[in-house]
Amino acid sequence: MRPVPSAPIVGPFADRLLALDLPHLDPARRRDTVEFVTRRVDSLPSVMHLGVLVIATVFRLVVATPLADRFVRLMSHLALPLLGEYVRLVRSLGYAYIWESWPDTQANGASTPEHIR
Amino acid sequence: MSGLTASMPRLDAEVLIIGSGAGGATTAALLAEAGIDVLIVEEGPWVDQGSVTPFSLEQMDQQYRAGGVTVALGLPSIAYTEGRCAGGGTEVNSGLYFRPPVDVIERWSAQHRIRDLDPDALSVIAAEIEQALTVSTVPGRTTPASEILRDGAAALGWQHNEIPRWMAYPPGGDAVTGKRQSMTRTFLPRAFAAGARMIVDCRVDRLHMAGGTGRSAAVTFADGSTGVITFRDVIVCGGAIQSPALLQRSGIHGYIGRTLAVHPTVKLSARFRDEVNVPDDVPVHQVKEFAPDLSFGGSASHPGLVALALTDHWKAFSKSVVQWRQIAIYYAAITSEGRGWVRAIPGLRDPLVTYRLSHRDRQLLRSGLARLTLLMLEADAEEVYPSFRGAPIVRNRADIASMQQAFAVSKASVMTVHLCSSVPMGELPGRSGADSFGRVHGTSNVFVNDASLLPTAPGVNPQATVMAIAIRNARHFISSRSTTDTRSTTDTRNIKGHHER
Ligand SMILES: Cc1cc2nc3c(=O)[nH]c(=O)nc-3n(C[C@H](O)[C@H](O)[C@H](O)COP(=O)(O)OP(=O)(O)OC[C@H]3O[C@@H](n4cnc5c(N)ncnc54)[C@H](O)[C@@H]3O)c2cc1C
Repeated sequence: MRPVPSAPIVGPFADRLLALDLPHLDPARRRDTVEFVTRRVDSLPSVMHLGVLVIATVFRLVVATPLADRFVRLMSHLALPLLGEYVRLVRSLGYAYIWESWPDTQANGASTPEHIR
Repeated sequence: MSGLTASMPRLDAEVLIIGSGAGGATTAALLAEAGIDVLIVEEGPWVDQGSVTPFSLEQMDQQYRAGGVTVALGLPSIAYTEGRCAGGGTEVNSGLYFRPPVDVIERWSAQHRIRDLDPDALSVIAAEIEQALTVSTVPGRTTPASEILRDGAAALGWQHNEIPRWMAYPPGGDAVTGKRQSMTRTFLPRAFAAGARMIVDCRVDRLHMAGGTGRSAAVTFADGSTGVITFRDVIVCGGAIQSPALLQRSGIHGYIGRTLAVHPTVKLSARFRDEVNVPDDVPVHQVKEFAPDLSFGGSASHPGLVALALTDHWKAFSKSVVQWRQIAIYYAAITSEGRGWVRAIPGLRDPLVTYRLSHRDRQLLRSGLARLTLLMLEADAEEVYPSFRGAPIVRNRADIASMQQAFAVSKASVMTVHLCSSVPMGELPGRSGADSFGRVHGTSNVFVNDASLLPTAPGVNPQATVMAIAIRNARHFISSRSTTDTRSTTDTRNIKGHHER
């Protein structure tokens, strides 16, 4: 077990990123996805885990402010070294999970009619 | 199958084998069949072959280290994956089989001064492996994604082959009907039949050394309890990342963990008019026109992996994600001149891994991606989505030039699944971590017998080379023990039956 669980640190940012990237993603699916992302971050190898938690803590602090959405949007477009890698990691894990779990998800996160039925 | 629990904190074995992948399972089978008391310790779980969907996230959760999210830091960082389960990488890999290349073996033998490394002898071992793993080509149809590689290469006049795999097919069966002949189906059952024991979900944390002699191994079980295993000899087969890390944690340094070698790859996704995606299988064709420097092949293309590949330029590529059935993922792999480090860090469980690509590696990756894109267009791809940040969509030959201009390796999603050479064998003073048969320099009874020993990445899919060298070394170990060893063999089998598979 990791001493520091990532859910409270990584979760809110992952949630905001997915909400902005995929606005039509069902909130329950988004919750599942965020849980998957944090589970994967918990199992990262030691050095990566430490690095991710340091960056995630900075992001977490900003996500708690009213500037959250603007910040997340900015970060998701800038390819900054290290900070950009964190965004990329969260997005890659999230998207891989969404399309593996619900393969007919649209590019904006919407479910297909087949899935709603 | 039962694992060791806290109620069994002390164990003993004549030979302790750490890791049950391509190197460990073959070593265990040969030693057990020679009458040696063998205990295999495997960090990961036992997962029956076929009980999880191949190449899925579920498989990554159960059978890969860190769920498949492992990275060698560098510019760019290189994502790599390691199997972590009974059978190691052989349980999750693509099964593509290449005999140990004769020219590579000759070069290793000469340049690394490896005694008695004979390409002909390895070919004989390779034939044994082919039989044991039922290596064969697909009797029926290969997948559409595989035929794209074949057809694109044929249109360009480039050399291409169907690569045989360690799969058992029913007569006339198509590619997807194959059953992977991994270690849990082949060499591990052989080892058990000969009396070997195995503990799964048990990690060896470090070896206790007295001078140059290994005495025991400190282990941690899945429930967090710990134990000690004493042994006469120990053979470390944890793979090219974990083996050097374990040796370093045990205070064995030497030339260990300084020359990690990989086959880096860059990827693209290509969309075709028809449905080409077969999520649970990978293409069996490879394009070898520019080998060994550069090879092209196909990757797993589950919808989740397609979405992941498209994230490199989501804004431009995302609309295609709903067409994932028409999309398959391909790679260009290079033989790299670069090298990496594996360093155990005190207080941390996992090692720090770094890798540095050379200038030539970068050029090769760039030209590889361009040539692979061309091949896709020749195979009638409607759109190609290269895997680098901000990449343009390529629809025709003219677009390839602009793609090349936009490309920089630092923006690419570079990956590898072939990890080697972190404890290179040989007799070069100061340039090899183990001797010609895998005994770690400076120790009397600590051996390595896995991908770490290969002096360089072999330029082809490596598992058969790993296995052939492991079998060669195991035979040497057996014969040198039977001729020189007069040490008493205490009855270490008294605990047998409590925890064997
Ligand atoms: C996705 C993927 C696809 C691949 N495709 C191909 C292919 O098509 N063809 C090919 O030839 N090769 C392929 N390979 C490479 C091939 O699988 C490896 O070269 C081969 O498995 C290496 O064997 P090994 O014995 O060195 O290590 P592994 O097979 O990785 O086995 C090492 C084992 O040791 C265990 N271990 C590590 N540390 C410890 C410890 N401290 N205590 C206890 N246990 C430990 C691990 O859990 C693991 O099970 C692929 C690899 C991957 C990951």
